[in-house]
Amino acid sequence: MEEDEAKIKKLEKENRILKKKLERSEIDRSSLETTNRNKETLLKKVICDLQEYQVILEKKSLDLEQTLNDLSLMQNKLVEAEKMAALGSLVAGVAHEINTPVGTSITLASTLRDETQLLITLVETGCLKKSLLNHYIEVASEVSSLILSNLNRAGELVHSFKQVAVDQANSEKRNFKVKEYIEEVVISISPKFKQNLYKVAITGDDLINIYSYPGALAQVITNLVDNSTLHAYLPDQSGHIHIEVQKQTDQVIIKYKDDGLGIDPQISGRIFEPFFTTAREKGGTGLGLHITYNLVTQKLQGSIDCESEIGKGTLFTIALPNTINS
Amino acid sequence: MFKVAVGHSNDPDSLEAINETLEQCLISLGGVLPQAGILFAAIDFDYSLLLQRINDTFPNIELIGGSTDGEVSSVLEFQQDSITLMLFCSDEIEIRAAIGKNVSQNPVEIARQSIESTKQQLTLPIKFCITMIESLTTSAVSILQGFDLALGNIPIFGGATADQWRYKQTYQFYKNEVLSDAVVTLLFAGNIVFSHGRSGGWRPIGKRSLVTKVDKNIIYEIDHKPALDFYYYYLNIDEPDSVYPLAVFPPNEETFFLRGAISYDKNTGSITVSGDIPENSIVQITDTCLEDVIAASQTSFAEAKANYAGQAPEAALLFSCAWRRQILGTRANEEYQAIANLSTPALPSCGFYTYGEISPLSEHGQTFFHNTTFLTLLLGN
Repeated sequence: MEEDEAKIKKLEKENRILKKKLERSEIDRSSLETTNRNKETLLKKVICDLQEYQVILEKKSLDLEQTLNDLSLMQNKLVEAEKMAALGSLVAGVAHEINTPVGTSITLASTLRDETQLLITLVETGCLKKSLLNHYIEVASEVSSLILSNLNRAGELVHSFKQVAVDQANSEKRNFKVKEYIEEVVISISPKFKQNLYKVAITGDDLINIYSYPGALAQVITNLVDNSTLHAYLPDQSGHIHIEVQKQTDQVIIKYKDDGLGIDPQISGRIFEPFFTTAREKGGTGLGLHITYNLVTQKLQGSIDCESEIGKGTLFTIALPNTINS
Repeated sequence: MFKVAVGHSNDPDSLEAINETLEQCLISLGGVLPQAGILFAAIDFDYSLLLQRINDTFPNIELIGGSTDGEVSSVLEFQQDSITLMLFCSDEIEIRAAIGKNVSQNPVEIARQSIESTKQQLTLPIKFCITMIESLTTSAVSILQGFDLALGNIPIFGGATADQWRYKQTYQFYKNEVLSDAVVTLLFAGNIVFSHGRSGGWRPIGKRSLVTKVDKNIIYEIDHKPALDFYYYYLNIDEPDSVYPLAVFPPNEETFFLRGAISYDKNTGSITVSGDIPENSIVQITDTCLEDVIAASQTSFAEAKANYAGQAPEAALLFSCAWRRQILGTRANEEYQAIANLSTPALPSCGFYTYGEISPLSEHGQTFFHNTTFLTLLLGN
């Protein structure tokens, strides 16, 4: 009897539980259906989102590619413009520099012509004295030697300028003596050295010869000198630039050193970056060293390194191959 | 000596269920009197009757509890319409129950006061707290701010009471009182070892949107449109679905927390979520799958086990999110079975499915309110 009661009690309990579970499963089934329906909608929507994003990303990718191409073109144009600007500045500098010896020569030639005219008059009128003839000879000798030295200076400038300008404009390969060529470049750009504040010394083996692009090397040296005169020295501060040319098996090493302010270690890693400049207010474009880096590493197929210490100047070491690959 | 007893009954009849639960506990206790207990009960039970029977059996017991969205224990594993009771006995620790009533009126202050007044009764240093809080009437984050003022860096574990997915009214139990809009807490002090683990499983998907208008835990606008439009866009429904909570990236943060909807207002187009959201947060809808939910539960338990400093834990409390149960559906028991495989068969465990979980992010860090997570708390000495 008691056993039966216990069994009935147990069955009643199980019945209650099953009834509750049935109720619950109905509720759960319905909410699970809702969840699954929502999940399906959500995933469809997310797939649409992703497709939308894919289209946007593809468009952005194309835009970026276009922008990159535009920037490359712009960069090439800027490099070209920078080169032309350097050439223009070279022309202006040389024109200004040549003006002095030529102008002096004209003045001296005019003096010689006047003295000669006076001598002719004296001869024609029979008034020529020994003392006057001696004076004329003295003047003519001094003036002709001054004309000659001034014209030599002008000729030297024209010769250097002609070679450097042609090289920069033509971009052709040829054999050339490195030290001699650097000397010509420095002479060409020496008009830039305000009031002879900067002294440039070029040392090394005169006979080191390479087959390369002289115009590119001229641009590199010009840019390094510009960089020193713009950044390394305070206004009216004098400076010494030393360029050394060395031979190393299949390479030529050009060491360019100034004794200026040096480069802050915080920015030394960025000096070759395009448009990075600390002297925008002085007209710096941030392209000089970037172009230098590209010319050395790409056109001249070499390498360039920079070492600097605040207050102790800056050293650029350029390694160039003896012969450039086609 | 630290002893834990667990009882669990799925009898829908309240009296039968509590009698069965108490009987199981009494057998486990072997004559030892419990100092405190936690009761987790499904929504359809007669709570007053349950509490009265527990207090009759164990007078002066420090008891807290609350309504759930599912119950779990080492006795019956996962159940949906059941009650489960965990009782604590120890002569080395002090356990006191705290109550904060009408918490929505001033959540920070009422939560703080509830702890402050109970702290006075303890002679030993507090180690941690277990809490069950109201989440439908107030901001859980504000309640935790109040706790933080009273407890400092003492860890708090627990969950927000639930009502089986109805989102109408949840209940909290304190000694022999049945309450709503309240916060109940057990303060543990003295020689007790504990560790915890927490893991989620939800991942953000879809596009990132900006929260453009929010007041604490009420989101008014997302991307300058009514917040409800966000859910309409993704789910094609006029109301938010808690199973798909929002991943919230606070401004300038790359990590996210989850916030699920607890209510909404069609007139304003706003969504009330389970915790505060900073303005200008980025939100994304989230999703998960059964495998990720179960893997997260295992991760949580394994983490707690790895962090346990004592010999071996003597009890486990488990707090899992109601939304996890929704994802698991008919396979909800797999969540418990996945962690049972990692524990000793005899480990008494007890827990419930919540409307939000409470735990610190690290061992002794600040306590946070979570959603869609599985929280394991191991106890021993």
